[in-house]
Amino acid sequence: MGRKTYSIERKQAKWGLIFTIPCLVFFAIFSFYPIINAFITSLTNRRAIARTSEFVGLENYVYIFTKDNGGFPLSNSIRATLIFTIGTFIPMIIASLIVAVFLMQLRKDKYRGFFQLMYYTPAVLSSVVAASIWMIIFDPRGLMNQISNFVMHTSGVDYNWLVDSTMLQISTMMIYFWKYIGYFVILFITGLASIPNTIYEAATVDGSSRWHTFWRITLPLLKPTTAMVSIMAMLQCLKTFSTQYMLYQGGSSRFPIDVITMNIYFTGIRNGRLGRASAMSIVLFLIMLLFTYIQLRLTRSSEDVEY
Amino acid sequence: MNKFVGKVTVWEVIIWIILIAVLLFTIFPIIFMMVASFMDSKQILAMPFTWIPSSEYFTSADRTFFTNFYRAIMGNNNNPTFFRNLLNSLIIAVTDSVTTVLLASLCGYGLAKFRFKGRNFIFLAIMSTMMIPFEAIMIPLYMVVSGMNMINTYRGLIIPFLVSAFGVFQMRQYLLTFPSEYLDASRVDGLSEPGIYARIVLPNSKPVIATLGILSFRNQWDNLLWPLLVAQSEAMKTIPQYITKFSEEKMTDEGAMMACAFLASIPMFILFFTLSRYFLGGAAVYDSRKG
Repeated sequence: MGRKTYSIERKQAKWGLIFTIPCLVFFAIFSFYPIINAFITSLTNRRAIARTSEFVGLENYVYIFTKDNGGFPLSNSIRATLIFTIGTFIPMIIASLIVAVFLMQLRKDKYRGFFQLMYYTPAVLSSVVAASIWMIIFDPRGLMNQISNFVMHTSGVDYNWLVDSTMLQISTMMIYFWKYIGYFVILFITGLASIPNTIYEAATVDGSSRWHTFWRITLPLLKPTTAMVSIMAMLQCLKTFSTQYMLYQGGSSRFPIDVITMNIYFTGIRNGRLGRASAMSIVLFLIMLLFTYIQLRLTRSSEDVEY
Repeated sequence: MNKFVGKVTVWEVIIWIILIAVLLFTIFPIIFMMVASFMDSKQILAMPFTWIPSSEYFTSADRTFFTNFYRAIMGNNNNPTFFRNLLNSLIIAVTDSVTTVLLASLCGYGLAKFRFKGRNFIFLAIMSTMMIPFEAIMIPLYMVVSGMNMINTYRGLIIPFLVSAFGVFQMRQYLLTFPSEYLDASRVDGLSEPGIYARIVLPNSKPVIATLGILSFRNQWDNLLWPLLVAQSEAMKTIPQYITKFSEEKMTDEGAMMACAFLASIPMFILFFTLSRYFLGGAAVYDSRKG
């Protein structure tokens, strides 16, 4: 009897392995092998056309950190990526938190659902579509200059949305902000909905004002969600590509918005310098790994928050 | 009546004003895209901007009705690959969402409901790939794909996104809560293990399958970077690549670009407004493969 159960379990165990093998093979070929390969390639002078590669040690790393890479050094890309990330995720977190808190104040679920749906709509559009819409809005003769002139009480001033290097960076941030605000509002609403109502009721009974309740109760209890969402937003911003690529295609200068992914694309694919592009990929990987590590630390330490 | 008015506080009015302001900010660019599809460049960039397409667009003799859409489909150099590119995007997105659902549920099922040697190791190994961003491995992936002669092929565009670690994770978490009694009962009834997966597990995972399928469809529909690397011939390009052509320097055709963007968004709009609860549900979970 006991022997039979054992064999049934073994038979089942075999199926468990069979079910997981396809995915395991997939990830081995399309995740583990490429990242190892990226590291190996980053130590060679491999180029797309010649298809020959020699071991050059850390030469590529020295090159990307010290040389200007045809006018587009990696240091500039790191700067562009970090400025974009910070300039996008901080306003986005603050705005989506405020909007989510306000949405929770609405009395009817129906209204809340409607707003959520409308806020989320831009996230449904592809990044290329989003960038193409805003490119026209940011045109010198476009809607954005008209609105800015109205707000700033000026007339006929061109704010150079897609030309001036600072404005160009702000423009990419705005496009990203517009596209993802609804997404982050929903993440915060999920977090807010998990705070039990009884806490708010207790606060009201104790005579706490809304303002007070927000700062003393909502915000501290929302800390785990905020930490998680911030890091998530950061990781997403670090990988941005389509918006910057689209604006560059539209004639904006590349230098101010030359984010790391774009530099990898141009160095590796357009210029065929696979070794250097791989070295940049490893740098990007390490930056993101650092952020993921921080994320794990934050979410783990915040798990013991109990309501 | 008075009582009702008394309930609406200043605070609530402020909340409504801010929420509506944000609403206008999120939807006006989309409305702009839609109306601009029916305008010529002169009207799109007119000062001040008028939100209603002029009747000239529909009536004037020298211009074809729906001329923007015509140019959007014909392309700016009269190279009509629009439908082919649209079809490519659909093929890639549909295939990848179907395989993601199948492979992730199979693997998630194996990890959630079976005990076997190395299970935890396999789970950790798959989870650790979530830390490898696609953008960091695209160059070696490109070398793998070009080494296998898959440049300009559907295989090259589809295969790297067959399944996502996030999908496996989500399916496993869902199936951990699935009652094992059902599975045991089916075993007693003589169903084979693949039979149990196909007839019991899959049909009972519909909500998570819908969320996962939609996420993966959207990610592929949005994908620009990988097709830029792999799809080099006009015929193999995808819709995001097609749209970028309208923005190329000094050839910008605003009306046609908006018409094209509008056309490219229709499939997503249909999906979104019919299955919005899965979109909003799916938003609450993180996908590491999203760019």
